[in-house]
Amino acid sequence: MEAATARISRRQERRRYGSGERRLAALMLSPAMVVIALVAAYPIGYAIWLSLNEYSVRVPGLSRFAGFKNYSEALGSSEFWDAVVTTFLFTGISVSLEFLVGLGMALAMHEAFRGRALLRTVVLVPWAVLTVVSAITWRTIFEPNLGLATQVLSTLGLPGADVVWLGESGYAMAVMVLADVWKTAPFMALLLLAGLQVIPDDVYDAAKVDGAGTWQRFRAITLPLLVPAILVALIFRTLDALRIFDLPFVLTRGSNGTTTLSLLAHQELTTNRLIGLGSALSVLTFVIVMTVSFIYIRTVGGNIRDLAKDD
Amino acid sequence: MASTQVANRHETPTPAPAKPQAERPRRHWVKPVLLWTAVVFIFIFCLFPFYWLINVSLKTGGALSEADLIPPNPSLDNYQSVFENSDFTDALRNSVIITTVTTVLALVVGSFAAYALARLRFSMKFLILAVILSISTFPPIAIAAPIFKLWTDIGLYNTYPGLIIPYLTFALPLCIYILVTFFKQIPKELEEAALVDGATHFQAFRKVVLPLAAPGLVTAGLLTAFFVWNEFLLAVTLTSSPSAYTVPVVVANFTGASDFEVPLGTISAASVVITIPLVALVIIFQRRIVAGMTAGAVKG
Amino acid sequence: MKILRFAAMLAALVALFSIAACGDDDDDGGGEGAADAEKVGEAKAQGDVTWCIGKDTTGAFKTVVENFNKENPKANAKLIELPTAADEQRRLQIQRLRAESPECDVLGMDVVWTAEYAAQGWITDVTEAVEARKDEFIPSTLETAFYDGKYWAIPFNTNAGFIYWRTDEVGDKPPESWEAMYDTAQKDNGIVYQGARYEGLTVNFLELLYSAGGTVVNDDATEATADSQETRDVLTFMQKGIDDGAAPKAVTTYMEEESRRAFESGNGTYMRNWPYAYALGKESKIADDFAVTTFPKYGENEGAGVLGGYDLAISAYSENPEGALAFANFATSPEAQAIQASQASLPAVLTDVYEDPTVTKALPFASELRDAVEQAKPRPVTPVYPQVSEAVYNNVFAVLQGDMTPDEAATKMNEEIQTALETF
Repeated sequence: MEAATARISRRQERRRYGSGERRLAALMLSPAMVVIALVAAYPIGYAIWLSLNEYSVRVPGLSRFAGFKNYSEALGSSEFWDAVVTTFLFTGISVSLEFLVGLGMALAMHEAFRGRALLRTVVLVPWAVLTVVSAITWRTIFEPNLGLATQVLSTLGLPGADVVWLGESGYAMAVMVLADVWKTAPFMALLLLAGLQVIPDDVYDAAKVDGAGTWQRFRAITLPLLVPAILVALIFRTLDALRIFDLPFVLTRGSNGTTTLSLLAHQELTTNRLIGLGSALSVLTFVIVMTVSFIYIRTVGGNIRDLAKDD
Repeated sequence: MASTQVANRHETPTPAPAKPQAERPRRHWVKPVLLWTAVVFIFIFCLFPFYWLINVSLKTGGALSEADLIPPNPSLDNYQSVFENSDFTDALRNSVIITTVTTVLALVVGSFAAYALARLRFSMKFLILAVILSISTFPPIAIAAPIFKLWTDIGLYNTYPGLIIPYLTFALPLCIYILVTFFKQIPKELEEAALVDGATHFQAFRKVVLPLAAPGLVTAGLLTAFFVWNEFLLAVTLTSSPSAYTVPVVVANFTGASDFEVPLGTISAASVVITIPLVALVIIFQRRIVAGMTAGAVKG
Repeated sequence: MKILRFAAMLAALVALFSIAACGDDDDDGGGEGAADAEKVGEAKAQGDVTWCIGKDTTGAFKTVVENFNKENPKANAKLIELPTAADEQRRLQIQRLRAESPECDVLGMDVVWTAEYAAQGWITDVTEAVEARKDEFIPSTLETAFYDGKYWAIPFNTNAGFIYWRTDEVGDKPPESWEAMYDTAQKDNGIVYQGARYEGLTVNFLELLYSAGGTVVNDDATEATADSQETRDVLTFMQKGIDDGAAPKAVTTYMEEESRRAFESGNGTYMRNWPYAYALGKESKIADDFAVTTFPKYGENEGAGVLGGYDLAISAYSENPEGALAFANFATSPEAQAIQASQASLPAVLTDVYEDPTVTKALPFASELRDAVEQAKPRPVTPVYPQVSEAVYNNVFAVLQGDMTPDEAATKMNEEIQTALETF
């Protein structure tokens, strides 16, 4: 009897709050949704439309419908595939290095018993530097004839002292990776540190009593428990690296094997004024990045589900 | 630190397998040495390029062609010419205004949306949240050209709203994600008490939840401000004159093709000028910033 | 759930782009095109005039602006400096033009952009103003401002490349031929030129190609003619120069400023550069140790130059076209041209300036300069010149880097030029 009353009143409650809540929710959500629809969804739609047309570079205002011609041109061009390779290569190398360096920094910060706050601050300095400024700094360090890098390398007698770093493929990419790792390994380090700090000490103690060595403890305890934090860090960084524009633009304007997908689309749109092709490239870039982000939702989607759960 | 204490405790001899015992004599100094090497590396790695920037900014004339680690005749000439350069000061003004407005708007609009998502019950929540978060993964190039055309047609090219609106769109997912996490950590009982007392949901939001979520607002605000201040692609596409261009645009266009006489010193000085306040902010707010970065990364 | 979300997004996108499609009444930020372009009225020296041109490496531009402001108190001219590289200048100019921004009134336009800017309707028709002064100008310079039957800009400075050489290293006699020059360079300190992957490389390449008797497009720029033996010969010559060490590998990163600095700091016996480097060289530590000459022979042929330079165009979106025209006329007046020529070795476009004693004193090679300019050949005149140039410099660069053989490069260059010429 009581249970039934409780159930009925809960249903009534839900109905009473239900519509009011839903209205309020709609009201509170609408500003955000309107902005997003206006500035994210509409332009994407427009970009798709642009990519289906050809816009004359000789006669202003002249255009013709081209169907998928821009896409077949893009997908058949070596520039596009070079950019895909460059982007994924950069992402792979950069994110791996950031992860390793970040992990090392996180472990060190975790173990350091003095000056932890100082370390955290120091580690945030690269993050605080503007991306553009960081690119300029690394560019000047690797400048031929004047740069610090060549001086240091020649003093230390290491190879690469007479290489024009930013002027050669491979080397230019190396500088780009270095600049990116410098800027974002700290971000990785902080994410991983947060994950490390959640692992309870008892687990380590138990392992030590059982005679596990440092490396074994790391492999069997630290790494597995760190996996969620690692995944989040990797995904954030992977998506950022796939979209990268600022760094190659300022460093080399994309020459010598540093043209990423975003940069290629930008060049076609602004320098070559091929709006149709440039838009097709933008849409392709969008699709590639969104596909990777779908994989993200799938693996770490649990987090979003939790956030969206009514509690 | 707990683990070093544990390490010490473990020094009492126990029948342990050969490997740990063989490590025992080394244990005392290997770890600290490795640790301090790592710490030194971290310091140099993180701080050196910034130091180099300051170093170059204090050099003038011929010294700029040499790669000295310490400026031979340090001078503040470059800083002076930076502040006398109206392009740079205009860009600073623009950046400050655009960043402030965007951050405030993002917090207001974002907190509304975050509250709805965190507390109110309605359908399709997961879908909406997923769509909002997926915006943060958009490559900006995909919308740069369409927005350029749009803004040209309606006259928003090279204006403040022309940048604020797209920035708001990219800032919202970030704000919403952080704020939803923070809102959910506030105990429901407080709001329920307010509701029982006759407050509407909106009043509960304003008077109970927001004040308690203040740290979350600060964090979201800081991260948004950093994002907007830093943003380059949209700024470079949608502005071109001192009336609206931002600091990254000016700094990047100082360079153009390589030019290493006077401009390198000035670019470095300009870069230092922009970076120092950011570093100061980071030092003051490092806890908040880290909390924001790691929100959701670690459960709990 | 994932699929549901994906489907919802897809549906939303389709819906939105249908709306977008309806709303696209296209206007690629262009004017009416060459046919119905705006004309400028009378020149009036008043109001704000903003001049957007590449970096003022010699201070000459600032001088022009100051003098204009002094002589015309009702006017207020301002200089906006764009980056040194021409490609960058173009990118930044066309960004503003496509956005219909009134920010730039007078554009410092590289001579190869005239066709493109005019075809797009970004600049105003100044035929009347030019016709009124036609006889003052060197004829080849006027051609650079001419397209589709009208004049679109006022020639500002012209340019033809020169060979600079270190008299303290190889004596006073100019090199006899390109081949001899490369030979000596290999034994000495090398030859530096603009070999980075940009427009400057197209110029360097075309100078040799024109000397060899080759071309890249036919006369009315409808067909590519780059697939020839001359092209292959020139490419082989340039590649061999780097392989043998006659030109340092670093030239593939040099633009004008870098090669000038290398030459001035002793890292080159020979340099190919524009005349502007003369004035700067005279202020550097090698002031007394260098001389200039026009291009030497290549094979059996006389050396040929490529005509460069800048013209002053008036933006179609300018809010003060009359003031802009007044400024352009001032900057191309005999007095201003003489100052620029003597102070900054910017080759004047007015024939008489080459007789001016201050100019001949500052530029001992003034008469050779005028001859070189009169004989220099233009680059292909076409609204798609940037794409044609890209086709050229991409492939030449690949050869210099060793990534392609001259044979492959010549074929590929030809294909890409043809594609560019057929751009819709």
